Amino acid sequence: MSPNSETGANKQGQGRRTRFSGSSRRRFLVGGATAGATALGGCLGGLTGSDDGDDTVTVGYVLPFSGTYSLLGESIVNGFEMYVEQNDGQIGGREVEYVQRDTEANTDRGVSITREMLIDAGADVLVGPVSSAVAIAMMQTVQNEGSAIWLNANAGDYRVVQEGCLKYHFRTSFNDWQTSAPLAPWVYDNVADNAVLAYADYAFGQNSKNFFREAFEEAGGEVVGEVGVPLGSDDYSPYLGEIEDSGADAVFSFFAGADAVNYITQFSEFGLDEQMTQTGSGFLLSEDTLPAQGEAALGKYSLLHYTPSKQTDRNQTFVENYQGEHDTRPNVYACQGYDSAQAIDAAVADVDGTDPDDLADSLSGMEIDSPRGSFQFHPETNDPIQDMDVRQVVETDDGVDNEVVTTLDRPEIPTWGCSL
Amino acid sequence: MVDVTTVLRATLLGLQLGMTLALVAAGLTLIFGMLDVINFAHGALYMLGAYFGVVVVSELGSFWAALVIAPLLVAAVGAAIEILSLRPLYGRNPLYHILLTFGLAIMIEGIVVEVWGGQSYRIPAPDALSGTLSLGSLSYPVYWMFVLAVSTALIGAIWLVISQSDVGILIRASAHDTEMVDALGVDVSKVFTGVVVFGAALAGVAGVLLGASRSVNPGMGFGVIIQAFVIVVIGGLGSFKGAVYGALLIGLMTAYGALIAPSLTDLFIFALMAVVLIVKPSGLFGATEAA
Repeated sequence: MSPNSETGANKQGQGRRTRFSGSSRRRFLVGGATAGATALGGCLGGLTGSDDGDDTVTVGYVLPFSGTYSLLGESIVNGFEMYVEQNDGQIGGREVEYVQRDTEANTDRGVSITREMLIDAGADVLVGPVSSAVAIAMMQTVQNEGSAIWLNANAGDYRVVQEGCLKYHFRTSFNDWQTSAPLAPWVYDNVADNAVLAYADYAFGQNSKNFFREAFEEAGGEVVGEVGVPLGSDDYSPYLGEIEDSGADAVFSFFAGADAVNYITQFSEFGLDEQMTQTGSGFLLSEDTLPAQGEAALGKYSLLHYTPSKQTDRNQTFVENYQGEHDTRPNVYACQGYDSAQAIDAAVADVDGTDPDDLADSLSGMEIDSPRGSFQFHPETNDPIQDMDVRQVVETDDGVDNEVVTTLDRPEIPTWGCSL
Repeated sequence: MVDVTTVLRATLLGLQLGMTLALVAAGLTLIFGMLDVINFAHGALYMLGAYFGVVVVSELGSFWAALVIAPLLVAAVGAAIEILSLRPLYGRNPLYHILLTFGLAIMIEGIVVEVWGGQSYRIPAPDALSGTLSLGSLSYPVYWMFVLAVSTALIGAIWLVISQSDVGILIRASAHDTEMVDALGVDVSKVFTGVVVFGAALAGVAGVLLGASRSVNPGMGFGVIIQAFVIVVIGGLGSFKGAVYGALLIGLMTAYGALIAPSLTDLFIFALMAVVLIVKPSGLFGATEAA
């Protein structure tokens, strides 16, 4: 585990990138494309990105580039731009313009950035956000403007679909039902018929454990306890005591990032491995946490839609390309960014334009050939219908890694009353 | 279903957490007591200790080397900060120090992100300290017992030095009346540098010790500095004894709080601070003349 200087914060794609300020940028853009039309400048503010008459696709990143989630934002950009670069720097045969603003993890900033992207920058495509709270806050603005396709490259809260049910919103990532519920029958059949639930006590953690509980009980299993831990806790010892006292044979967990590192490390330090089998959402044991978790992660099971060690030609090529460019393996976020680019590329080529309604029609039900395995946008919700990998952490030459134990064949996802 | 084992486990955790927090809070309070500087960069020094620990372990393969070398490196950073940036500002309005050290904290965090990226690391604990210890029905990780023992020993040693030795007398005297000590022929600026260096080293030790059971990440300094400030305020600004008692109090409150009402623990801690500030504004062990 040698610390490397993997930052890539300012990695430039082939397209022009602008950190725009104010509304002058859009005029500049159009003015540059259609020389002599500067007289129109005054009335351009009212137009939307879809009919600006130029041949570029404007991609707006609504992502965190600083703070806790900066690594996720950078990974999504890396994946997206790698695909575009592999296609001569074009999307659907058109030049690409990137607009990048930092949402941090701030809900208000997410909304104002979305508005700027849509109204001032005339973005044709929004990519992001990372946080579901930001996504839920963005919904209204995207719907009101109706001027861009929103490729949700991470935020997985089911309520984005339940409350939004938005025809411009396409999730190239996952929903939180997918990363928890399908694991439950598998755990019941292969691990234990009783389980305790341990989760980071915020919306995403609560959704995950609720979905798991529902599916586990439906499969015939018994949930013998629940342990909610405040988000960002450093010490899990008292909670580990509760988990141990539950007497369960299996534990299902949702923790992510630094929390996942602390929880898994201390779970192992306390010797709980000998008493119960650790299972969880894939974020518990992922590319960004495994190096720090090390041997403490060994033997533990988790569920996710993308696993870099997946042994398919499609994925191995993707991994090699990514590694060649960034000196590190792609994580799930990079795959989600890459698939966002694939999706919009196919749609723009298909409709030969950037009209959001045409693009939405084209994307609906579209099948994407992803490194994760092919997936399809659900015609009712625009969520991805996809395979889920059950992985186990095994020892390798350079530490530990996830090995795919079995792949669950496109579990049927709920629609939460959304019917597009 | 709170039984004896659970309470015992929480107590051990609370003491261990308290003693490691005391290492951070002690440095903070000593620097304030001597220099009148509120050092916002102290959490960043703690973080640097953990990152240096990660590097030393990965280069030399020894946790023990990291436990010695990393704090020394942090001490060097502390010396540079004192000599290059704090010293020119002594005697000015305290606001200058707050702005300066806050800026330093942001700079250090920025450098850490540039060098090591945003992902988490961890210091592998030595094999000799792996496994758990059985105390009746309670099993407790050996490494955590070790952390409790080392931090308690260090805090005890510092207490002895401050209360019993000549160095301690000098430190207390310098804190009490800088001009008098200066007039007696002692180079007070060296004492100042020494205190900052020592405080930084303590934060570095805490960083290495906790870096083995916690994620090492760019946000870790911020969480700790908030807790350390609460401790120092409760214990009394500038009081070493106050920092130790305050740290134990917060450690135990955190551990017991997790048993009773996890989501309210932070609220309890800040409520305690508010009560102390109202009832005894100088803190539990603060000097009465402290503002």
